[in-house]
Amino acid sequence: MPVKIGQGTMRTVTLQDYKRRLLRVLVHIQQHQDDALRLQELAALACFSPYHFHRIFKGMVGESVKEHIRRLRLEGAASQLKLGTAPVTDIAFDAGYESHEAFTRSFRAVFGLSPTQFRSSTKSRITTAAWSGLHYRYGKPVSNFKATQPGGKSMKVKIEHKEPIRVAFMRHVGPYDEVGATWDRLLPRLGKEGLLGGDVLILGICHDDPEVTPSEKIRYDACVTVDESFVPEGEIGVQVIPGGEYAVTTHFGPYQKLGDTYTRLLGQWLPRSGRELRSTPCFEVYLNDPQSTEPEDLLTDIYAPLQTKPRTLK
Amino acid sequence: MKPQPKLDLYKLHKAEYAATRKPVLVEVKPASYLAISGQGAPGGDLFTASIGALYGVAFTIKMTRKFAGQQDYAVCKLEGQWWSEPAADFARLPKDQWLWKLLIRTPDFIKEDDLREAVSVLLKRGKGEGVKQVQLESLAEGLCVQMLHVGPYEKTSETIAVMKAFAEKQQLEFSGKHHEIYLSDPRRVPPERLKTILRHPVRRG
Repeated sequence: MPVKIGQGTMRTVTLQDYKRRLLRVLVHIQQHQDDALRLQELAALACFSPYHFHRIFKGMVGESVKEHIRRLRLEGAASQLKLGTAPVTDIAFDAGYESHEAFTRSFRAVFGLSPTQFRSSTKSRITTAAWSGLHYRYGKPVSNFKATQPGGKSMKVKIEHKEPIRVAFMRHVGPYDEVGATWDRLLPRLGKEGLLGGDVLILGICHDDPEVTPSEKIRYDACVTVDESFVPEGEIGVQVIPGGEYAVTTHFGPYQKLGDTYTRLLGQWLPRSGRELRSTPCFEVYLNDPQSTEPEDLLTDIYAPLQTKPRTLK
Repeated sequence: MKPQPKLDLYKLHKAEYAATRKPVLVEVKPASYLAISGQGAPGGDLFTASIGALYGVAFTIKMTRKFAGQQDYAVCKLEGQWWSEPAADFARLPKDQWLWKLLIRTPDFIKEDDLREAVSVLLKRGKGEGVKQVQLESLAEGLCVQMLHVGPYEKTSETIAVMKAFAEKQQLEFSGKHHEIYLSDPRRVPPERLKTILRHPVRRG
């Protein structure tokens, strides 16, 4: 519903707005399919914060940016094999593969035939299965796609207002599944000082998307809430998680599957919520102790920072 | 995102935690617990504060040892004993008169000194006076009837009735305190899916 604010007209952001913004990225990918695309720059093109862009993309399009580009390139290669005469090695190179073997492996996985077999076969279909309806097309810019539908059980999302949260933290740089070692250093040091007593929250901030950032460069902060009396020392720093409104949902199950819940929250719930994200990272609150809890019983609250809702003026 | 278990007492004493939707007899060996007692309704202020104090002490002891490079272990789940005085009135009494003792099973190598040190560091941090009420105790429950209760805490009486009938059939009678082991987290798990092990010591009638 359109609402008036001050001089300009502000309206609630809709699913169409989200699609329009992603289309800018999709057209860019289509036009620069053969170039080395800088994944970080794509976010700017859609005016999404780089913190959140890749999860929104994956959630709405149904495949990650990388998967999307790889699929379009393979479709492009299939088209060249059918319509052109270039040697397979050249086509492999154009599709971003450094070796004939790697190209053949990927191609066979998608089309069921090797590139050479495909070229001489009567098979003419060069497209692959994709919910979004996005395919390799020469020339005409892509103008629409089908956004994924929230499937299965509906997602419970609450909007919560949080005060700024002061935390002691230790930064982990490296593969996401190795953050345990950082917790192993942080918790005993805080615990022996009595800092795990009372109503502390144990939370994590992931600054990078494990799907996009090379695993050795992923930054993750292991955090425990502390009061003003805590002074940073050595490896342990202090930061304040900004207050404001957050969309909150609970992830049920192993930490390895947290990514799926992020994707549903940012890619399916968010575009239909009328809200937009702030350019600060999401964070997750671990509600139970993984040492004494079976992975399928783990509970994690995911917090996604929201921009202030446009106020309706009378 | 934290490490894998080093020592898990529930896994080590697996037979003592056997529980299905049918009652069984288990032999429970003496075990050490951090414990805090009180009176009042579950979910009430004292109850909630006591859970916080108990966990605060449990994690402080564990992490202090871990920092010192001593044997690591998983902090066990919350357990509780429930009773009333006189015992027979429990079901009829208002909840604010219920007596309880909240427990966290703890390795035998945790001693009074560990507890004292943890309490003093928590008090210094201003983490609440409640930590002073935490005790180190041993329970020797022996032969018990045990059964898994799936559903809201308010409905445990139905499961207890099944356990009692099972005991009587074998010429056993309930003796000692009703004991619950909370396997699920009531903060997010819906009441109908909450899993709780119910245990009651028995003796030959």
